[in-house]
Amino acid sequence: MTSHVLYIEDNPDNMTLVRRALEARGYTVLEAINGMNGVSTAEREDVDLILLDINLPDIDGYEVARRIRNSTKTALAYTPIIAVTANALKGDAEKALDSGCDVYMSKPINIRELWARVEAFVPAPASN
Amino acid sequence: MQLPMPQTKAASQKLSYLGDLQCSDCGKSFSADEIHTFCPDCQAPLLVNYDLNAARQHVDRDQIHARAKGMWRWHEFLPVIERQNMVTLGEGDTALLEVSRIGNQLGLSNLYLKDESSNPTGTFKARGLSAAVSKAKELGIKKVIIPTAGNAGGAMAAYAARANMQALIYMPKDTPNANIVESRIAGAEVILVDGLISDAAGMAGEKARDEGWFDVSTFKEPYRMEGKKIMGYELAEFFDWTLPDVIIYPTGGGTGLVGMWKAFAELERLGWLENTQRPRMVSVQAEGCAPVIKAFHAGASFCDFWLGAQTLASGLRVPKSFADRMILANLRESKGTAVAVSDTAILEAQKNLAVMEGIFAAPEGAACLAALTELVKQVWIKPDERVVLFNTGSGLKYLDQKN
Repeated sequence: MTSHVLYIEDNPDNMTLVRRALEARGYTVLEAINGMNGVSTAEREDVDLILLDINLPDIDGYEVARRIRNSTKTALAYTPIIAVTANALKGDAEKALDSGCDVYMSKPINIRELWARVEAFVPAPASN
Repeated sequence: MQLPMPQTKAASQKLSYLGDLQCSDCGKSFSADEIHTFCPDCQAPLLVNYDLNAARQHVDRDQIHARAKGMWRWHEFLPVIERQNMVTLGEGDTALLEVSRIGNQLGLSNLYLKDESSNPTGTFKARGLSAAVSKAKELGIKKVIIPTAGNAGGAMAAYAARANMQALIYMPKDTPNANIVESRIAGAEVILVDGLISDAAGMAGEKARDEGWFDVSTFKEPYRMEGKKIMGYELAEFFDWTLPDVIIYPTGGGTGLVGMWKAFAELERLGWLENTQRPRMVSVQAEGCAPVIKAFHAGASFCDFWLGAQTLASGLRVPKSFADRMILANLRESKGTAVAVSDTAILEAQKNLAVMEGIFAAPEGAACLAALTELVKQVWIKPDERVVLFNTGSGLKYLDQKN
């Protein structure tokens, strides 16, 4: 059985890098290139984990996390969210956790750490 | 970008035995003749390789000992291949002092302190920035950018000035004033950030991507570590080509710790060490920002981002190092440990170093003595072991933090 990771990220280079890395471990990656699209994808699809960039072109990642946590789709209240950001301002890590994210990662995303962080929530299908 | 080959023909005359660059995670090779930052696939630091087999045949450790003092006398193991690209202010060959009064107080008979405050710009950052700016010059780079907790910015400004490069520095707004002044007087543009070095790093990274600055952030280019590693070569030489039993080192980004561990591996491959026993490495951080200590004792292979980092030791306010995996791996391989100390203990240790040994240490350096005191209490160190503390800079750079 495959596991679905939703990556909400507007930077195509990051999207490509992370997609390749996660697909190499057997995950299926769903893409959303802005916050609104991310929320709707999370509500529409079966998602096991969400990777969430904080700096998005429409609503920021904190708002995305809050909307996901408050969604009428009750499963999203418990879906793990990993926040990732490149240019955090002071307190952004705390804000990410306060808005409903489970873990905070800073860019550049080390791929081995990404695998470990994701696998801590959702075992890698490739390693089953 | 292609560089000319060394002009000398005989291998014995090579200025540098520089080889390739290698990803610290996946092992992929990259050319050292081109500009690289970190591995684009793994987003992990790149390590610099040297042709140590050739160097072993042609380089004599005693010849190096006889050369004029300074970091660049180890040029065979530094990344610059044309002499005119070395950008130096006389860094390296800092004093390794016996600190016997403090040693006696702690019941240690072989206690030393490597005093990096005599480096240009007053801290160990000079070593790494000398190497990085030199290699940047060799690769044709004209403008360099850095996020810094303070001292690396001052060092980069100085070396960039000497290399006639443009310099842009992002530092937290509460960085010691000395760092701001020394950077600006060297012609660097300084942007003060309402946040930590991680915040500065994000901004500098964005600026670098947008405007083509070369980012010399810790471990986001391969060469700063090469300058720092020479501290390990100097230790081995001082101890007649043996290594101390314990090295206690303050850890912000971790370049020195990882760099020295690399130096010891290189020295082994060169066959220059008289014994094979490597030191136990001790990472020291402040209780208010201790991601390495937390991860080490939790058995983790990487660090969590430290929330709410706060300590008077500005160089230790690094919520997560880009090389956390290597730091943790090196600590474990060395059978070392990791110790967090309070700001109060740092200030006490700083005073003790000054009163008992005449050394006005940076708070990061004083943190090492505070950690040693803890380790002695825990009987982690035997009385006759050779222990080296690192004072990474001068306390004079932190006068605005003193009462």
